[in-house]
Amino acid sequence: MKLTPRLSLAAVAALAASLAAPALAQKEIVVWHAYRAEEKAALEKVVAAYNQANAAKGIKVTTLAVPYDAFADKITAAVPRGKGPDVFIYAQDRLGGWIEAGNTVEPIDFFLDKATKDRFIPTTMEAMTYRGTVWGLPLDYKVITMIYNKKLVPVPPKTSKELVAVARKLTDKKAGRFGLAYSYSDYYYHAALQNGFGGRVFDPGPKPVLNAPENVKAMELLMRWLDTDGILPAEPSTALITSLFNDGRAAIVFSGPWFLGEIAKGIDYALAPLPTLDEAGGKPMRPWMTVEGVFVTAQSKNKDAAYDFAKVLTDTPAARVMALEGRQTPANKAVYDDPAVAKDPILSAFRKQVEVAIPMPNLPEMTMVWSPATTAMNTIVKKSATPKAALDAAEKAVLRDVAGLRKR
Amino acid sequence: MRSRAGEDEFPHLPLHLVLVLATLVAVYPVLWVFTIALSGQQSLAIADLPSDPTVWDRLRAIVPWPKTVTLSNFTSVVTDQPFAQWMLNSAIVAILTTIVGVFLACTAAYAFARFRFPGRQAGMMSFLVSQMFPGTLMLIPLYIILVKWLNLGSSRIGLILVYATTAIPFCVWMLKGYFDTIPKELEEAAVIDGATPSTIFWRIVLPLAKPAVAVTALFSFMTGWNEFIIAATVMDKETMYTAPVGLRFFVGGFSQQWGYFAAGAIIVSIPVVALFLFLQKYLVSGLTAGSVKG
Amino acid sequence: MSARAGDAPERPPSHRLRFAVGLLVASALAVGVGYRLLDGALAQGARSAEDRRANVAIRALAEVVDRAGVTGDAVRAAVAAWAKDHPQQAAIKVVAFDGLSLEASTDPADTGDEAAPRRLRREEKDLYDRGQRLRAAVETNRAEGASRKDEVERARLADGSLSIAAPLEKDGAVVGLVQVQRRPPPPVKPPSWLTALSYVAVPVAVFLLAGLVVGERRAVLGVLAVVLLAGTVWGYGAQSAAKLERGRRAVEEGIAGIVRDEGAKASAILASLSLPAEPPLDPARWDADAFRRPYGVVRSDGSVDEAKVAASAARDRTAVRNALLLVGGVSLAVLLFVGLGGASAFVRTVRTNRVAYTYVLPAMAGMVVLVFFPFLYGIAISFTDSTIYNTNAPLTDIWVGFKNYVSILSDFHVATRDADGTLVFNYLNFYWTLWVTVAWTVTNVTIGVTVGLFLALVLNTKGLALKPVYRVLLILPWAMPNYITALIWKGMFHQQFGVVNQVIQIFGGSPVSWFETPFTSFLTALATNGWLSFPFMMVVSLGALQSIPSDLYEAARVDGASRWQQFTGITLPSLKPALVPAIILSVVWTFNMFNIIYLVTQGEPGGSTEILITQAYKFAFEKYRYGYAAAYSTVIFGILVVYGTFQNRVTRATEGI
Repeated sequence: MKLTPRLSLAAVAALAASLAAPALAQKEIVVWHAYRAEEKAALEKVVAAYNQANAAKGIKVTTLAVPYDAFADKITAAVPRGKGPDVFIYAQDRLGGWIEAGNTVEPIDFFLDKATKDRFIPTTMEAMTYRGTVWGLPLDYKVITMIYNKKLVPVPPKTSKELVAVARKLTDKKAGRFGLAYSYSDYYYHAALQNGFGGRVFDPGPKPVLNAPENVKAMELLMRWLDTDGILPAEPSTALITSLFNDGRAAIVFSGPWFLGEIAKGIDYALAPLPTLDEAGGKPMRPWMTVEGVFVTAQSKNKDAAYDFAKVLTDTPAARVMALEGRQTPANKAVYDDPAVAKDPILSAFRKQVEVAIPMPNLPEMTMVWSPATTAMNTIVKKSATPKAALDAAEKAVLRDVAGLRKR
Repeated sequence: MRSRAGEDEFPHLPLHLVLVLATLVAVYPVLWVFTIALSGQQSLAIADLPSDPTVWDRLRAIVPWPKTVTLSNFTSVVTDQPFAQWMLNSAIVAILTTIVGVFLACTAAYAFARFRFPGRQAGMMSFLVSQMFPGTLMLIPLYIILVKWLNLGSSRIGLILVYATTAIPFCVWMLKGYFDTIPKELEEAAVIDGATPSTIFWRIVLPLAKPAVAVTALFSFMTGWNEFIIAATVMDKETMYTAPVGLRFFVGGFSQQWGYFAAGAIIVSIPVVALFLFLQKYLVSGLTAGSVKG
Repeated sequence: MSARAGDAPERPPSHRLRFAVGLLVASALAVGVGYRLLDGALAQGARSAEDRRANVAIRALAEVVDRAGVTGDAVRAAVAAWAKDHPQQAAIKVVAFDGLSLEASTDPADTGDEAAPRRLRREEKDLYDRGQRLRAAVETNRAEGASRKDEVERARLADGSLSIAAPLEKDGAVVGLVQVQRRPPPPVKPPSWLTALSYVAVPVAVFLLAGLVVGERRAVLGVLAVVLLAGTVWGYGAQSAAKLERGRRAVEEGIAGIVRDEGAKASAILASLSLPAEPPLDPARWDADAFRRPYGVVRSDGSVDEAKVAASAARDRTAVRNALLLVGGVSLAVLLFVGLGGASAFVRTVRTNRVAYTYVLPAMAGMVVLVFFPFLYGIAISFTDSTIYNTNAPLTDIWVGFKNYVSILSDFHVATRDADGTLVFNYLNFYWTLWVTVAWTVTNVTIGVTVGLFLALVLNTKGLALKPVYRVLLILPWAMPNYITALIWKGMFHQQFGVVNQVIQIFGGSPVSWFETPFTSFLTALATNGWLSFPFMMVVSLGALQSIPSDLYEAARVDGASRWQQFTGITLPSLKPALVPAIILSVVWTFNMFNIIYLVTQGEPGGSTEILITQAYKFAFEKYRYGYAAAYSTVIFGILVVYGTFQNRVTRATEGI
């Protein structure tokens, strides 16, 4: 009949397929990430090299780029249903939430040997740890530092007094020129100041302490910069900061590696560590760092192989590619000894800054902090309330939300 | 008859004034999008004013005009990523959404407009009600249904189904309202001539309802064209992404490359404008007037 | 439409037949559901009994291993002694975290080269992770002063056996775990289906016999059927309840015995290995929940606390009664529906209107699957205390009834008086947000409709030049992705660099700090959304305007009607059928317009410009309280349904003209 030739053809094809792949049971490791442009290219290069090296083992890594704005939702929807990847790369801020929800991230304590643990900057490892268990390998960190326009600021200020002095000279508020510009009303950016004073969001427990006396002091210093010294622009959205810097109207900016991709071509800039705070006894400003981790998913069918890939991806050779070609700042320590990396002014500037950085909390309770903290920041900078009163109100709101979540 | 229209018309000059004003308001923010896209930079353009700005300075500052004009943002958007593929995916999804959505809505709306049957009111209300439940918590149940139960993960069919069901309620109500205005006498005459219900529907009612079909088609298309989160969640292959998903790579998280995003947004709006240009003639063709009474 | 003509003349319906079928279906439904529930309850009872027995055993074992010091030969000796005493345990494993070591194992696979002590193998990762989970649970519960995470983990394996694990502690810190895999318990005997069947067959038979006597008297037949159904439901329910209570008592007695037994065995092992016997063992505390909180049913002396047993039996009875009421109600409805002719009427209706239903069905089907299903899920969640901590718990375990709704709707602290007498609004209060949402919706839709309709009317002027150009330019706000245009709008309202303030200054005004007060902040979002939404209304109006025959206007003009009279007398009424649905839907969409608020004002200042949907979002994704957020969403839904029904009643939009 007519069907026969087709049928036999299919049979032959099936047979051929079964013959072609006898020894090699292909193991596919799917990796989701939120990278684009050079970061993506660098990752794909590392993956290609890995695939080549492991072709004999029948392991093949494939990658999928997912837009950052959809990433967390996609993980939350797909992974617990067994539809997600084997490995994904994401910052630590959602880690606690995923762990509490369960079925999403695989603990890797068991796999983790001392040599692997020791190859990372210790604080980045801290960011991967939740309730005493390690859940991922740190790939890179992102941290804010001082970025300045070399034409306007020949020598970067080292202390807050110097900073204010330089900034005051360069500020002409009416003309829209500012010595210093950063998203100070964004709690994430403000944290550098707060941590510099020894402030914090959580005490162990975790118990929120938004209104800790150190936090209030940091807020008061910010108000001095904004009000008395008048060196900062109003309503500082990140978009505005970029525009000001690109127009040469902001001399110094506090921002992170992402900012460098937004700087216009004509601007001659350099990086320096955030200044020390004379008001806090010369202690450095300590920005929060976000650490992108490589996580093995709980539903992966090849956890061993997935962990092996994560290990390779965070090892020095891969870190070198990610640093030099992907323009990432790796969490791997050894890569900064590489001559090409060491002489890169940007990478070494971030490396220097991260020494004093503090991992942003990875607790699920952290998401409850943003909104009240933002409200507090806005009321303070608009002078609708004193720092103490606004932070007290924020603390109250966070306490109520935490209690609302924990009650049984 | 048409010649009479002129004598009692409103003078055109004030109408033009109104329209020019409205157009300016409508276009002004869009011009800023163009300014950003053409600037070659990634930051938003902001007013550049001297210390003591004159009125003239301020006027200059509010005119959206890039300091330098370059197409680099556009070329980067198109070449860095498989943007053409994503546009094509979007086109396939949006066009099929339109076809499925409008077709199903037409039949349903026709039944609601012309038949009297138990459950008619409830049926219409249920279409309305379907728009009322806030979508914030719906992503995961939708994911479970689409990907786990219907096994439509990473497929265009899944997206089309979701978008079509999103668009249908408005389409049904709009078309039903329009069908109601088409006089029944026409159909009754056709019944006497021995036409079947489907002939009546396809040959008489639908052509008369072209303006409403055009509106619903545009709406359905937009529903499928601009959706981001479901497409990004359901699709597991980069080659299957739609244009809005691709656009979002430029912004999100810390990175805010608005120059690329603006350029991409302009490219993404072009097909919508083109579709509107195509549909315009149906939107403004007062078909009913002649055929009904004639 | 004319399908009636060919129908065969209808026979008069037989009430006897209808009620008999109704009774059969209803009682089969009731008993069927009852059987499933009873079966489930028995199995559940057996499972929880096995859980408790296992729990007592593992707590005893953990106590012994703790006292043996968690690591070392003493542990292996203790485990060996314990395994001899407990033939029902298939495999016991003790793991110490330090050095990933398997300290003791009675698993037959762990002999020879694999014998304990040894380092854990890679395949044994799950065992180690389980231990770490328990450690984290104990630490979390201590830190939070709550009982949130399981300190004893149970897992059912494929063969029905139970694998249970408990933490091992040294000086207050969790340093390892002990895991026991038990042999599968004997299967539970399912309830007799013969009994169940008789509960269906007997009433139906009685009804049929009685029917011979009663004849076609509908009222009597109806009452009889209802009585028989009630008897069935009550009878089967009572029988089930009794069975459950007997089971409950047997379990409690059994547990008490096991507690005494385990206590004795543990003491014996401690004594024989000369392990510390102080502080004295308290076996009664071993009968505990997963958080290691004792149930208290077994007293320290090993006797059963009768009051506690009675209380839990009472809970069982309440559950049975609730199930009875529900099942009874549903089956009664089925009986009446079939018996009173509803079913046949239903079939007839479907048949008569099959053309209409076929036309509607495809659209409806997609709607049911992709929209209403998620809905039901959302509504179900809204009655629970679902949070990120319990996403995997069955809904029944976290059911809280109307608690979320009460907490949302009963909070009337909208405003308080400050010390100096000024009114301070609580912006996070539901009613404040509701008020903002209503204001937001009304203003937006008003702007959208008036501007859109006005422009459509202007664009509909005959002979006006450049119309196509205007039209295309005017839909640009709709065509452009609003993610970027919203941001542009936000930028336009910047205090120093925004063009709005520049324009104000050109006209000599002083710049406004738009996001500082609720009202101005609200205006920025309103401007943005008004700009975004008028093109849609314009297009809808343009389409609708085409349905108006131009001769209507001509006739009006001949009658000398003014332009305004033409507008109110002809244009508006003719636009109504198409415009009203668009308005209703606009209201719904604007009410739930998440993006614009989120992108433009972000609720500032102080959450005063949040609308309900952004609040619901915050509860779900910032505060991780899914149940509360679902209740919030359901309230929004309820408000909109009320609005929709009301609007529909007023405008009769579902009606034809």
